[in-house]
Amino acid sequence: MEQMNTEDCEGVSAGAFVFQSRPNHSLTHGQQRFVFWSLAGVCFATSSGFALLGYWLILPFAGLEIGLLAWALGALRSQEGDYETLTIEGDVVVLEWHAGTRGERREMNRQWARVVCDCRTPGRDCRLSLCSHGRETKVGQYLSDEARLQLAATLRRKLQA
Amino acid sequence: MSDAAHAHDDHGHHAHPTGIMRWLTTTNHKDIGTMYLWFALIMLFSAGTMALLIRAELFHPGMQLMHPDFFNQLTTMHGLIMIFGAIMPAFTGFANWQVPLMLGAPDMAFPRMNNWSFWLLPVAGIMLLGSFLLPGGAVAGGWTMYPPLFIQGGVSYDLTILAVHIMGLSSIMGSINIITTILNMRAPGLTLMKMPLFCWTWLITAYLLIATMPVLAGAVTMLLTDRNFGTHFFNAAGGGDPVMFQHIFWFFGHPEVYILILPAFGIVSQIIPTFARKPLFGYASMVYATASIAILSFTVWAHHMFTTGMPVASQLFFMFSTMLIAVPTGVKVFNWVATMWKGSLTFETPMLFAIAFVCLFTIGGFSGLVLAMAPVDIQLQDTYYVVAHFHYVLVSGALFSIFAGIYFWLPKWTGHMYNETLGKTHFWLSVIGMNIVFFPMHFLGLAGMPRRIPDYALQFTEFNQIATVGAFIFGFSQLLFLAVVLKTIKGGAKASDRVWEGAEGLEWTVPSPAPYHTFETAPVVK
Repeated sequence: MEQMNTEDCEGVSAGAFVFQSRPNHSLTHGQQRFVFWSLAGVCFATSSGFALLGYWLILPFAGLEIGLLAWALGALRSQEGDYETLTIEGDVVVLEWHAGTRGERREMNRQWARVVCDCRTPGRDCRLSLCSHGRETKVGQYLSDEARLQLAATLRRKLQA
Repeated sequence: MSDAAHAHDDHGHHAHPTGIMRWLTTTNHKDIGTMYLWFALIMLFSAGTMALLIRAELFHPGMQLMHPDFFNQLTTMHGLIMIFGAIMPAFTGFANWQVPLMLGAPDMAFPRMNNWSFWLLPVAGIMLLGSFLLPGGAVAGGWTMYPPLFIQGGVSYDLTILAVHIMGLSSIMGSINIITTILNMRAPGLTLMKMPLFCWTWLITAYLLIATMPVLAGAVTMLLTDRNFGTHFFNAAGGGDPVMFQHIFWFFGHPEVYILILPAFGIVSQIIPTFARKPLFGYASMVYATASIAILSFTVWAHHMFTTGMPVASQLFFMFSTMLIAVPTGVKVFNWVATMWKGSLTFETPMLFAIAFVCLFTIGGFSGLVLAMAPVDIQLQDTYYVVAHFHYVLVSGALFSIFAGIYFWLPKWTGHMYNETLGKTHFWLSVIGMNIVFFPMHFLGLAGMPRRIPDYALQFTEFNQIATVGAFIFGFSQLLFLAVVLKTIKGGAKASDRVWEGAEGLEWTVPSPAPYHTFETAPVVK
């Protein structure tokens, strides 16, 4: 997972706190196309060759398999836009996340926002949320436990400042 | 709370189930890797027991222990289970454990699909083993499933076809997962040409699997329709062509041989530099050699079929293309030896198995070159020379690399060092036993002893007896391997994070044992 932690981000005023994290994607669109078409090419060339000789039952299996591959690559593509952004600017805390087709933007009053960090064992299996008006929203989705603990400390400091 | 907020709250933070539910529902790559490896070990012992029964029967000429049909069932099931149940799942187990750790990824790209691809395997394994209990027993037509035998058998043949389909589906899902993980989840800075060679060999193996699995699935489905639905794809009685099945099968089958050996190349390429305390010699050439082997593997299939009758031009083509594969394979062997050259070598158990791999796999490669020559192959087709050849490739090649990999990474997985004395004892018993079993088979083959027969002429007795003694030494020494693994899981000296002095790579930066969740935040590779 990649994360960006900056005090000076475009679109927010100087002094605002912005924390953004997103999953790591190392596959480019070009590579994705290469993977798909190279495999589809080999599979369909082979199975079409056998089909021309009368052994057509290989073709549907090649189709199913390449369909599964297409779904897998499509699923990866749909996750490319996933992110989580936390902004503290003035009296407003904005938590915004996007995962696949789902997403949410939630605004909280800084005075009412509370950091909840719950670790099942010390330093491990940690769950970090921001709580306000009886509603809890998870933060640090793409972070390790250590990074969540660090973020919790930073958020407490920023909310009290 | 809105649905969206609920959804966000739910995913990613699991309550860990315990007991059997942990293993049934797990999506953790380490758990799934462990299950693959245990499944492979159980299958190895099952098919190994079959091999010992085969060798016990062959200790004397004449029939001693079993009916000839049961002997045929044992040879068929030994091959099918070793290939699809032991070697392939073991390498997938390694991929599950090591690929995310080597890439700095938190898990596989599709963890739920990963769970499915594992749990299909025990179903197929039970079908294969359970077919011994069916009327008529298990399949007895050879692991290659050639018609007309495979069209004529009983219900166990249908069950085996279904099991092959299920294992194929598992392999396809596993391959898609591995390709997407390797390509999409590499840590920032870890470019393709910086990737550990194990990941490269698995990436190319996964490509091969995806390219060939529909061919196998189609071939066995056509067998099924010939058996049950009155089609005549391969049934000569209805105008079908049984030889065409061989072409289709080996179009899958020869790349399958490389599916069984390329991950072994990857494991050995991780181990030799570690114990030579030098970087791998010729990394780029290793990658290109692996890719060349994979591409060439599609052009050699008919070398399994020289005796079926084919034009001289075809024989020459397949003979030369087969010999051509020796070139990239030779590059690999050269690079492993060059890596060891002037290195600060130490000989811990993983290194011993890796060196044995290089030496003995090369013997298997050379006997492969002998068999590549069409005029020689016509003499040696279906003799014990072929059995010796592919066991040198698959036992001292694939299986020894699996042992090497287990000893290499077991301390990282369990947090304990294995017992070096027991490990080395296991190595020496295995390497001596393996050579006693399979080396005499070259002589038996050259003398004309056919394979897949429960009885033989008297002049073959001595070499068969030597082979049987070797088989029992080799077989029982694997109990020692089981003991070493269990002992290491239970306890032992604490393993450090970087278990081996010369170890390089991201997997050695995490604690030993590797925590349940690793690399939730990607490391940056420079």
